[in-house]
Amino acid sequence: MGDILSISHLTKRFSGLVAVDDLSLTVKERQIHTLIGPNGAGKSTTINLITGVLKGDTGVIKFDGKDISKTPTYKIAQMGLGRTFQNIKLFGAMTVMENLMVGAHKNTSQGILNFLWNTKRAKKEEEEMRAHAEQILKQINMYEYRNDMVNELPYGLRKMTELGRTLMTDPKMILLDEPAAGLNPSERQDFIQHLKDVYDSGIDLFLIEHNMDVVMSISHYITVINFGAKIAEGEPKEVVNNPEVIKAYLGSRFKAD
Amino acid sequence: MKANRKTIIYAICLIAAIILPLVFGGNYFISLYGQTLINIIIVFGLNFITGLTRNMNLGTAGIMALGAYASGILYVKFGVSPWLGLAAAIVVGYLIGKGLGYPSLRVSGVYLSLTTIAFGEIVRLILNNTMNLTGGAQGLSNLSSYSIFGFEISRGLPFYYFLLVIMLIMLWISTRIVRSKWGRAFKAISDNPDAAESLGIDIAKVKVLAFTLASIYASFGGALYAHLMGYINPATFNFDMSIDFVVMLMVGGIGVVSGNIIGAIVVTMLPELLRFLGNYYQLVFYLIAFIGAIKLPQGWPAGLASLWKWIVKKTGLKSRKEG
Amino acid sequence: MLNTILQLAISGAALGFVYALVGIEYSLIWNATGLLNFSHDKIITLGAYIVAGIFFTRMGLPVPVSFVLSVIVMVVVGVLMAMIILNPLRKMTTIFTIMGTILFGRIIYEVIRLVYGSRPFTISGLMSGTFHIGSLAVAKTNVYMIVIAGVVVAALQIFMQTTKTGKAMRCVSQNKKASELMGINVKQNICITAAISSVICLIIGFMVIPLYNVTLTMASMIGLKGFAAGVVGGFGYLPGCIVGGIVVGLIESASVLVIPSVYKDAVAFLVLIVFLLIKPSGIMGKKA
Repeated sequence: MGDILSISHLTKRFSGLVAVDDLSLTVKERQIHTLIGPNGAGKSTTINLITGVLKGDTGVIKFDGKDISKTPTYKIAQMGLGRTFQNIKLFGAMTVMENLMVGAHKNTSQGILNFLWNTKRAKKEEEEMRAHAEQILKQINMYEYRNDMVNELPYGLRKMTELGRTLMTDPKMILLDEPAAGLNPSERQDFIQHLKDVYDSGIDLFLIEHNMDVVMSISHYITVINFGAKIAEGEPKEVVNNPEVIKAYLGSRFKAD
Repeated sequence: MKANRKTIIYAICLIAAIILPLVFGGNYFISLYGQTLINIIIVFGLNFITGLTRNMNLGTAGIMALGAYASGILYVKFGVSPWLGLAAAIVVGYLIGKGLGYPSLRVSGVYLSLTTIAFGEIVRLILNNTMNLTGGAQGLSNLSSYSIFGFEISRGLPFYYFLLVIMLIMLWISTRIVRSKWGRAFKAISDNPDAAESLGIDIAKVKVLAFTLASIYASFGGALYAHLMGYINPATFNFDMSIDFVVMLMVGGIGVVSGNIIGAIVVTMLPELLRFLGNYYQLVFYLIAFIGAIKLPQGWPAGLASLWKWIVKKTGLKSRKEG
Repeated sequence: MLNTILQLAISGAALGFVYALVGIEYSLIWNATGLLNFSHDKIITLGAYIVAGIFFTRMGLPVPVSFVLSVIVMVVVGVLMAMIILNPLRKMTTIFTIMGTILFGRIIYEVIRLVYGSRPFTISGLMSGTFHIGSLAVAKTNVYMIVIAGVVVAALQIFMQTTKTGKAMRCVSQNKKASELMGINVKQNICITAAISSVICLIIGFMVIPLYNVTLTMASMIGLKGFAAGVVGGFGYLPGCIVGGIVVGLIESASVLVIPSVYKDAVAFLVLIVFLLIKPSGIMGKKA
């Protein structure tokens, strides 16, 4: 298996504060990889660096074999790296369906002039987008909410809408920034199941997560960072037994039985 | 059922538009109706950049002027048919959109408004001072009307219906764009730019597209205006005019195509309705627009609708109490 | 030739100082509220009408008395502006903030027009005459303009650095939320800022009377060129406004050497667009 995402010697400073410190990690294809660490460990900065929202001071980030260290956000997304946000970023003034259809925008090929002349093709493209969105909405059990304004939906459904919108981009990999945050236990179970389905459909996942139940139930591989630097990585069982990780973060709760 | 009602409303509006100049006619009014139609077209365009992507364009009059003069100069100095003038105006609008859009849309906020204001002023200064080409402050006159197969579309009723047809075509195009992936992308980049970028949308490119559409509409409308009026001068295309277009957009409800029509009609025709105010007309108009901007940001139709609902609710409660 | 260049430099610098003051006047409000006050040229015009129209011409008061009384009126105007438009608009989106201030300006314009009509007038003899330095003749207006602007800038600087209110204004310009949490009354701060801004508008309106007379459109151009000054120097940064204003004034003045003078007014706007193209953060700005 090749590497879908690799970070080598990535460093990011904010006026004196080192947020990410010489971080190297590799995400293999066909794996659910989770990044964990205490608050302020640099997890969000890392995601922002990968998605191009921030640019690193030094280091190289490769996605799907290509260097994306200097690539703008929208181009990284076009290369097949989808993401969800910690605090959900939806288009509030649109319906669920419209939100999903914006997700498909980058995969459409018709230019504006052709759109104006070739009404048939425009119609076909729109139909295809809608059909794709309907299929995804059914997959994530959101079909009945398709015409609701997203601002009026409860938190859990908004989170689901965001996942659906990212799926519309046909990503190779999705970065999920704390997918379980703000969900109640049953919603969380549901969400994890959907993530597993997404993974089974062939999309690799890279998570940042706080909730250790979620981390342990879904991850194939875990990287632990603290103060911006990697302190451990490995399979879930190995990581939770690592004394340094326990000291920095986990406490005794997850000590091996 | 609901769709049916909408169709009926549209049909009634269309019939009203066809009958209106026959009932309330006269050269002055028919020309005013024509200007209203042109304003509607220009507001359709402004809706893309200011209505959907929420970037302030305050140079509409300057862009319109360039469209008007492109067609006017081609006709007066080179004898080119106004039809080709219309095509030239589209090219001019395209060039302005690309040329002005890229610099100012890289930065956000008030910068586009400043660039567009500056652009409008530069245009007016140039038009005023290139006597040989533009006729300076006197402008250009004796611009002919359009003709089809050798028959002139004379000013008055025929020209009005000609503009009505063009407006309907532009309405069709605008509605299609607003309801397509383009319209959604326009809305998305103003609604949540971070999310739009994370979905692979190139914000700068989408903004420039919206701005280019707006400037093509304005330039195209300018060319129609030149040949509707038969004369143009730089003083017409001033900053106030640019403001009026944004007021039209706000009155109708920002981002709503049907609102664009209502806004353009209200603002263009209001001087006639407020004629009895004489010298005070403009003060009253700006006061109404100002209060509207602050108190009814969703536009007058939506604002009045919610006011109506509120009244119904209040009176409904009252009658229940009485009963 | 040298004399011409020197004269151009002086008149350019004088106008530059006017643009600098315009830049400061709207930047104060920008920093306090995040709003760009598009009605500022109308406030400048209003100031000129109040001092020259009401107090000097109609009431026949001497110029200094007229000016002092106008300061009081403009403080009231500023506070009213803060309460009627700046505070309500602060929470609205860009389109409404821009249109709100523009329409407010139109209302002021219409009121002035209805009261005074469109016939221009002036305070005759105000700052007129020339100084002679060797063979160089310098209009007194230009010298006064530079001196007045310098005094205003210095006074403002002292006020911002030493008084409690001034310090509060600086805090608000850096971080509105934090200032509010630290117990600074932002609304009151906006009223004070708007009052100061209006008084500066009055000073601008007063000192350009010898150049443009008192007319409805006397401040349209300097209003827009003040925006150019802000863009050139760095938006919202007061020292940037001064540098930007002087740069715009000098470039504009020097332009008559190379292009027909009818295009002089276009130069500032061109500078504005070019700066947005190559250096949107301005000469002294930190970031876009």
